[in-house]
Amino acid sequence: MAEVTLDGITKQFGTETAVDDIDLTVEEGEILGVVGPSGCGKTTTLRTIAGFETPTAGQVLFDDENMTHVPPEKRNVGLVFQSYALFNNMTVLGNVAFGLKMQGVSEDERHERARELLDLLDIGDLADRSPERLSGGQQQRVGLARALAIEPAILLLDEPMTGLDAKLKERLQREIGSLLDDLGVTALYVTHDQEEAMVMCDRIAVMNDGEVEQIGTPREIYERPANEFVAEFVGTANLLRASVSGDRLDFGFVEADADTLPVASGEVTAVVRPDDIDIGSGPVDATVSDFYYVGETVRATAELPDGRTVDVELDRTMDDLSEGDQISLSFDPSRIHVLRPRAD
Amino acid sequence: MTDGEESVRTDGGSATAGRGFTRANLRNAVGRSANKLVLAVVVLFLGGPIILTLVASFADTWQGVLPSGFVTLRHWSTALGIGETVGVQRGVGEGLAFSVMLATGGMLLNIIIGVPVAYALTRYDFYLRDWLNAFAILPLVPGIILGVAFLRTYPEQSGTALTLIIGYSLLKSPWLILTVQSTFQSMDLRQLEESARSLGASWPRAFLRVIVPNAQNGILAGAIITWTLAAAEFNFTYIVYTRGPRPFAIFLFNNINNATFLQAAAAVSIYFLIVAGAIIVLQFAGNKGFSTAREEA
Repeated sequence: MAEVTLDGITKQFGTETAVDDIDLTVEEGEILGVVGPSGCGKTTTLRTIAGFETPTAGQVLFDDENMTHVPPEKRNVGLVFQSYALFNNMTVLGNVAFGLKMQGVSEDERHERARELLDLLDIGDLADRSPERLSGGQQQRVGLARALAIEPAILLLDEPMTGLDAKLKERLQREIGSLLDDLGVTALYVTHDQEEAMVMCDRIAVMNDGEVEQIGTPREIYERPANEFVAEFVGTANLLRASVSGDRLDFGFVEADADTLPVASGEVTAVVRPDDIDIGSGPVDATVSDFYYVGETVRATAELPDGRTVDVELDRTMDDLSEGDQISLSFDPSRIHVLRPRAD
Repeated sequence: MTDGEESVRTDGGSATAGRGFTRANLRNAVGRSANKLVLAVVVLFLGGPIILTLVASFADTWQGVLPSGFVTLRHWSTALGIGETVGVQRGVGEGLAFSVMLATGGMLLNIIIGVPVAYALTRYDFYLRDWLNAFAILPLVPGIILGVAFLRTYPEQSGTALTLIIGYSLLKSPWLILTVQSTFQSMDLRQLEESARSLGASWPRAFLRVIVPNAQNGILAGAIITWTLAAAEFNFTYIVYTRGPRPFAIFLFNNINNATFLQAAAAVSIYFLIVAGAIIVLQFAGNKGFSTAREEA
């Protein structure tokens, strides 16, 4: 495994800039998630590391070795695709052993190593099957085994769980995340599913429009988003305008102490997560304008006295609310995150 | 609602749920029978003449509606040059073997050139791609025109096996390219190629070890089509052929032109048998040679 660094990477396709001067390091043994909306450049970033895109500017480094112009077959990267891309002209065992064959490993040894990996992924009994006869989850495991077999410098996963049903996805996330941790694999995990990234990744890079908005642990990204885009893209967020006065935040309908403030005065945006708002006895009066039950939780939209609305997430036992109900809201000031004003 | 119970339809009609005599059931029954009838008629219409020709080649005479005087091998012997009649062709066996070689050579040349061309047209986007695509899948010129062009351009090569092989390949390449292209379009070529390359395979190895085996069905179908069309290519052969063993097309032409109908039937039957044999061999070789689904790397 290696530490992989993208140093000032820019990739342009004609006049369109897919990736704009990004700096990113995937530390050895770390799983770095890359999330963002469609077209934000996350797959281009992955393909640049793999060698299938040559950057317009910048360098790709594997442990300080410049790999920018090294062809993909010489980089020793393991790729797991969204569509699995298994070789239907080979058995499952043949697929997993393919990379080892390209490395010149003897037949006995590569079959032995392939079988070990298949057993590790609980699909040892599928070794002689054709990939076409496997389920989606099984194919995904074969794809992963095949990529791991070559002991890659970095494992690149491009939305590998897309297309799987929710339950299977949940189970695979836990199993694969645990396996990658145990093996100490360096990995870049591209996904549009933030929850998946939070479950599987040690750190997350949030991308938008070809740029990296923030890199941090899942907790940092969720609880301390760097800007409005990250706050809204990762989870649900209430973005409330407030003015800073001393060490207090004035929302207009209520004032609150702030844990930390980026400025001494002026207008700011405060991020309040729906699950950090409680209903009961609180200083903020509101009216329920929308309410829906989603199984594990209950979600409501409440209208504040000044006409603004906030989204609230409650325990599912609180399902006796209905539209028009008058409620009182409270939130823990320590959970409010104030964004640094943008330097326009 | 139980079987046989009547329900009122909103369109004013009535229907009985489940089995029983209903308009829907009658429509289904008549439709299925009509389908089978049409299929039988089409099969008979297309296959009948072939079967009748094969059967007639073993008949002594055909004066009335059907041939009669079974079974005789006289016409087969004459067509193969074993018998002694006017128009007998000597060295027919050598000619047929020569034709097999020509058709196989044309097919192989088509595969070597056509498969990469089909891949490039499907996989990559480049300047003038659409024009090249049209150029590759349209039959260029009729066999007669190509034959005259070859004679004019390479007069010293006229009638040689190489000329015939190249001509057959050129004339039949659109069929192979189109068939293989269709197969490639159903595959995720980019991801297969990148998957193989990420595992350490160079581009040529990825193409030969992964892409081509996964497209074996299309390549095989294209090869069969190319072989059978090349084997029967008459126009080009007639213009270019000058000496040596007689190719298939000339063999058939001589037997149809200068012989009885039943001898012609024998010649055509020989052609069908050779083509059928070639298809079987190609299927077998294709499945073994590509070594797919059971390969363990």
